[in-house]
Amino acid sequence: MKALNIYVFILFLIGITGCSEDFLDVKPSNSGDASSSIQTPADARVIMNGLMSKMRSSAYYGRNFIMYANAKGGDLTIFSQGRGLDGLYTFNHSVTTGSNSGYWDHIYHCILQANSIIASINQLEAEGAVGNFDDVKGQALTARALMYFDLVRLYGEPYTEDKSAWGVPNVTEPLDASSQPSRATVEENYQQILSDLQTAAPLISKSISNGYLNYYANMALQARVNLYMGNHAQALAAAEEIINNGPYSLYSNEEWVDSWTRQFGSESIFELAILSTEGDLGTSSLGFYLRRKGHGSSSAAGWFMASDYFLDRLGEDPNDVRWGVMSYDEVGEDHLGASYKYSGSVDLVGDGKSTGTAVNIKVIRLSEIYLIAAEAALESDKAKAAEYLNAIRKRAPGLEPATESTISLDMILDERSKELFTEGHRFFDMMRLNKPITYNDDLADVPVAHRDKTIDRSFYKTILPIPQAEINANPAIGDQQNPGY
Amino acid sequence: MFCLLQIDCPLQTQGSMKKYLPVLSGVLHTIEKFGTPPHHTLMKIGVRSIMQTICLLLLSTSLLAGLDKPAPHPAATFPTNALIPVEIQGSVTDPAGEFLIGVNIQVKGTTRGAITDINGYFSIEAELQDSLIFSYIGYKTQTVPVDGRTQIHVVMEEDVSQLDEVIVVAYGTSTRGTYTGAATVIDSREIQDIPTTTFQNALVGKAPGVQVASSSGQAGATTSIRIRGIGSMNASNEPLYVVDGVPVNSGNTGQLSGYIYATNNVMNSINPSDIESITILKDAAASSLYGSRAANGVVLITTKKGKLGKPKFTLRSSVGFTPSWATDNYEPAGTQENVDMLYRVFHDYNTGRGISEADANADALRRLNVKFNQHGYFFETDGTALTEHVHIRGMTDGIVNREGQYFDWEDALFRTGVYQTNDISVSGGDESTRYYSSLSYTKDLNRIKINGYDRITGRVNLTQKIGRLVEFSSNINISSSDLTGFNDTRNLSSNYYLQTRNLLWGLYWPTDYKTGEPWTARYGSYGQNNIYYDNEWENSGKTLRLSANEALQVNILPGLHARTVFSYDNTRTKDHIYYSANHFNGSNSNGTVSEMTTTYSKLVSSTTLNYDQVFGAHRLGLLAGFEAEKNETDFQRSTGNDLPSSALHTVATAGELDANAYFWGNSIMSYLSRAEYSFDDRYYLSASFRRDGASKLGPDTRWGNFYSLSGAWRLDKESFLAQVNALSNLRLRASYGVNGTLPSPDFGWRSLTAYGISYMEQAGGGISTIADANLTWETNYTTNIGLDFGFFEERLSGSIEYFTRDSRDLLQSVPISRVTGFSSTLKNVGEINNRGLELSLGGDLIRTNLIRWGVQVNASFIRSEVTRLYRAEGEEEGADIIWYDPTGSDARAQYIFREGESTLAFYGYEWAGVDPENGNNRWFVNDPNDPTVGEFLIDGRGASYAWQDANYILIGDGIPKVFGGFGTDLEFKGITLGANFIYKIGGDLYDGASKDVVDDGYYWERIRAQYQYDNMWTAENPTRSLPRIEGFDPTDAIQFSSRNLYDASFLRLKNITLAYNLPLSLINRLGIDNTRIYFNGTNMLTFSKYKLADPEVNQYSTRGWETPYGKTFTFGIEIGF
Repeated sequence: MKALNIYVFILFLIGITGCSEDFLDVKPSNSGDASSSIQTPADARVIMNGLMSKMRSSAYYGRNFIMYANAKGGDLTIFSQGRGLDGLYTFNHSVTTGSNSGYWDHIYHCILQANSIIASINQLEAEGAVGNFDDVKGQALTARALMYFDLVRLYGEPYTEDKSAWGVPNVTEPLDASSQPSRATVEENYQQILSDLQTAAPLISKSISNGYLNYYANMALQARVNLYMGNHAQALAAAEEIINNGPYSLYSNEEWVDSWTRQFGSESIFELAILSTEGDLGTSSLGFYLRRKGHGSSSAAGWFMASDYFLDRLGEDPNDVRWGVMSYDEVGEDHLGASYKYSGSVDLVGDGKSTGTAVNIKVIRLSEIYLIAAEAALESDKAKAAEYLNAIRKRAPGLEPATESTISLDMILDERSKELFTEGHRFFDMMRLNKPITYNDDLADVPVAHRDKTIDRSFYKTILPIPQAEINANPAIGDQQNPGY
Repeated sequence: MFCLLQIDCPLQTQGSMKKYLPVLSGVLHTIEKFGTPPHHTLMKIGVRSIMQTICLLLLSTSLLAGLDKPAPHPAATFPTNALIPVEIQGSVTDPAGEFLIGVNIQVKGTTRGAITDINGYFSIEAELQDSLIFSYIGYKTQTVPVDGRTQIHVVMEEDVSQLDEVIVVAYGTSTRGTYTGAATVIDSREIQDIPTTTFQNALVGKAPGVQVASSSGQAGATTSIRIRGIGSMNASNEPLYVVDGVPVNSGNTGQLSGYIYATNNVMNSINPSDIESITILKDAAASSLYGSRAANGVVLITTKKGKLGKPKFTLRSSVGFTPSWATDNYEPAGTQENVDMLYRVFHDYNTGRGISEADANADALRRLNVKFNQHGYFFETDGTALTEHVHIRGMTDGIVNREGQYFDWEDALFRTGVYQTNDISVSGGDESTRYYSSLSYTKDLNRIKINGYDRITGRVNLTQKIGRLVEFSSNINISSSDLTGFNDTRNLSSNYYLQTRNLLWGLYWPTDYKTGEPWTARYGSYGQNNIYYDNEWENSGKTLRLSANEALQVNILPGLHARTVFSYDNTRTKDHIYYSANHFNGSNSNGTVSEMTTTYSKLVSSTTLNYDQVFGAHRLGLLAGFEAEKNETDFQRSTGNDLPSSALHTVATAGELDANAYFWGNSIMSYLSRAEYSFDDRYYLSASFRRDGASKLGPDTRWGNFYSLSGAWRLDKESFLAQVNALSNLRLRASYGVNGTLPSPDFGWRSLTAYGISYMEQAGGGISTIADANLTWETNYTTNIGLDFGFFEERLSGSIEYFTRDSRDLLQSVPISRVTGFSSTLKNVGEINNRGLELSLGGDLIRTNLIRWGVQVNASFIRSEVTRLYRAEGEEEGADIIWYDPTGSDARAQYIFREGESTLAFYGYEWAGVDPENGNNRWFVNDPNDPTVGEFLIDGRGASYAWQDANYILIGDGIPKVFGGFGTDLEFKGITLGANFIYKIGGDLYDGASKDVVDDGYYWERIRAQYQYDNMWTAENPTRSLPRIEGFDPTDAIQFSSRNLYDASFLRLKNITLAYNLPLSLINRLGIDNTRIYFNGTNMLTFSKYKLADPEVNQYSTRGWETPYGKTFTFGIEIGF
């Protein structure tokens, strides 16, 4: 017995002192070393998946970014304050409040992922690594361009207003934790965006790649960005490249309503995938924020509904096919202000997944490209402009088609409002075109103290402040704060 | 058996061998009963035979050696003395009536002695006028005159000085009188009657320098302990917990907190009744031997061991009731008052825009009707003014008319809490084997109906001597618990307590007044009918903890022993959360259920070599050791959506499955050593050194050295104080040492790419951290000076301690430019100093045989200050760090770390009160360049109506001036009355919850507190303290501001206990040794300057929407036999 114990005791001693430095090298099981996570094209695709996954977060395309342009654009209104995101509508935001720092934080987080892919590939290519990284690199550059375009639209003056104003820090490499970057100008941002898109275009695949960026998504962004810059010829060229050469086709009037119940339709140039087990935001989803209060769930708080101005616009033709995704809202059974685009249908069927909230985000559709083409052609070729506009305008069969003599920028803008309703465009369109926005505050008599009933881009809150948290950590950028904040 | 032996063994009546007899027979007795399987008759016979043989052998040996000669007899030596020695028999017990074994009895003035036997009896020959001296370690030596008696019963009094009391310290034991470190020992008796599932909650107010705060009043919630202030910014401030010599996990287990924010305290797995003593190590001398985890102090828990003697059964049973909260907690105003206030908001919304009073009245009533018609009410006013009293009328078109009746949501969602505990323990032992075994069942049903906790624990502590040299001990604890909780953070849609205060109007009923059907739609945007929804969801966290702590000690030489401890601690928490398709959290996915298993395993292996020798007046103690620890946590989750049947709440039935599983962990490896030297019991010196390596740090920084030096001087033993008779102890102690804190994250030094973010059903990953690879330990440099004193044979004793603790290289998640892609990174950023004075004083004011009245008081004066923030090269000052109270994830309070300021410095706008002219909020602008900037001046200072114009400044300090506890206990004829108070004086309390219930009109859907109704500005009462409520142009005025700051001072009668030991004469007849019945009242009285809610708040000195403390009445009984 005693011998046994002493034996055990000695064993303990040996076992313990036998520990080596390996004992202290404990690695995580669900993470890897950041510096070496991309070695092959397959590795790069994994990070690209991660980037797409992060882009569909509620802080970005999953909800908040789309809602930003919706809520502020005048096409939506609210029924009561305090339900959530209503601060966007009421412009109740300051450097510290209103949760607007989420855009800044999240988009830069996504840009880091893109920068990391691009930097790793550049390094691997310089080292002569085997494998073709072109497509991933092209996607990462295109994604970076999209993200900078979104950031500069949120934080910088419209290009057409003052391109020498402050844009956002232009960062194209992964940064060290101690970096304190300053803002670039709006013009520098747009130059970077165009440069990235142009660098990417020859690298990126031309085939349809559902859920990812391809050559035509790149072209679509080139069209968009040039339109925002007022480069109409370049915008038109890029749009026509897609219209004439791309594998996409417009929905017919019969297909239009049902197109929302499907993923990756014939118009989808860039669509972020949301599966019910992957990225489903449930009660925080875009669909939830736009549907009627209490519809399908007592958690549906009835956040946003169409303004009377939008309903009047769409009501120009009671047979407009786009009424098919509208249903009544909290105001009453005859007020069809609830939008069901992101619920699949007015019966919440979703787009073919087990939950009605796991609905893909259609970031770029062919319809938008036609409308870009129309707007870009307006100055130079009104007939062509009318042709592109009518391809969309025919969705209201009761309306006269536009002609060379009747077409106007307002017609195109109205069509954008109807076609791209709740898809995250209206506010930015009004800003870039210097149009006033009137809000339907009187619908439910919601008190709004932070803005007038009608605003235009001279109102300082039409661009967001650099968040206080950024200034706290990066004091120099505080001197570059947007005026008024 | 004993009787048999006495008959069988011829030794019993003879001479000097007699004194061995009781021991021998005791051993025999014990071995027979416990050393062998109790029902094994063969063994019994075997043991008996062996013992009889031993008796015979002893007898023959003593005969042969001639030892059996009778000792010289006084009577025989001095025959002239007429007094004849007689045989005096008796027994010795402790104050509780427990018989004491091995008490030394000596006839005064002679060498004659005896000891008490296994049953506590003795017999000795003495003369009738002699005196007997009774002595026993830990008890006061008594001299008892025989006084002509032949039967003597002596009750030993515990040695109040307790200077010789053995205390458990780091890697060993010491005594109170010789220990050089700063430690507070809490005896099990101090915590035994308090109805709590964890001993931690019972420590509040008991130890100077120690602050205890529960994260919530929920059953099963975690508790925080701060020892000597705040020594860390971002890393843990929690002490290291060591149970029976082995570091253990503490804090929250399981994943429910990620879903519903109910915490599950792993310390609940230790049954408080199993605890023998708790030692709180406070200074570096006491704790540095625990190295890198000791900076925030160490809590050593020692579980009970069997005591030599016959088996002792103890039964304890208690039941506690919590019919109410301990204080008011944001009590809502009545339904009538709330309707009037909402009317006022709606009215103001109209008149503020220039709408006529009549139209404003009509619109306000319309809005009330829109809101409440569906619940069976409509509204009328006599006039049209803002101040109208609104008549609440019942709708008559339903199956009920609710006029005059309002639903009581508190009554529906709360109940009388019930706490029940039943313990049984058996302990005992003999010379070679000692055991303690217990079984306990506890059930704690919180006042909030859906929160409950129950637990079963079992423990076996066994010590076995093997031969002369080896001792093996095994402590095994098994605990199984089940917690059902709810979200008690500031979550409007699921915190029931918050809902009763803020969302659930008395006008809302759980049924539809028209149909009588359950109401399932939301009331407003957030409140819901939880009477209905409670059947549509469930949660539980089941924790099974198994810990085995095996120790082997080999006594190699006298004074030299080696000890190895091997411990395996496995805690598995299985969380279940289910929402039916009818529940708003499950409706989107047609029902959802998740099962999560989190398994924490900790392996500790520790081997020490200990040498302890006395050379004349010199005593030397040496310790060297090696320790390794490996922690691994394994997590698995499976989730099912689309559940086919509301009756089956399992993942197996689901239409859609989702899963996740991974593990994480860390390792620590350490070398440790200590040397202690003392001379003449007057001068003591001690030094320790430990070297730790930790996987939580990078290869270049992972090894750290920690050490301490300390000394003590017994002044009262010096000749110059020998004349001071009143002084029984005067000891000066001093120590200096270094210890550390590890970062909280396991992989904080690694820049990582995280995976698990799939896209299009393909693996995805992304950079998840940018780390500082040179991250290093937080290091504490602590100096401690203590003076212990005792007077009148320690009847009055106390100590004064001064400490200063510099914490350097503090880890903090530092805000970084978010352009990097992240908002923060973990860095070593600065230094904090905590310093303070701790006083404790206790004594018996009255001490007679009949009555004893004792008082104890302790006080801690602690300052905690950020002394330095590391700066970039060329910077004059370190950059401020703004941070938020992490409790409940609602950023309820904002703080700033700024050089020279408190570590709990509240940062916000300075509220300038209400303008009596118009009832508006006013804010001091506090422009750093010009104090007069503002819309107007108040006392020469610039102020504004808009908080947006104001600047953040330091508005308060969460650190109290002094805190502590005091208590008193009175014993009289078996009755004990004890009271323990806790107090806090000074410091600010930040109320992060009143923004919800004291709202100026921003939130139209919410009900408001009575406090607001009573204090809001009105034209008729322009001097009230709160602003007017308004509907027009309301701004969310409840910013981080001094408006929410209150004086944190309070005094609370934390516990009052009345206990009665039934007279032995009564219960001994029933075969019972002792019976104690008791009553305990918890949180009985509270005196506070802060009236809105409970002033006993968390460690950040903030109040939020966590479940408050209750007022608990507990009745218990303890029976020993």
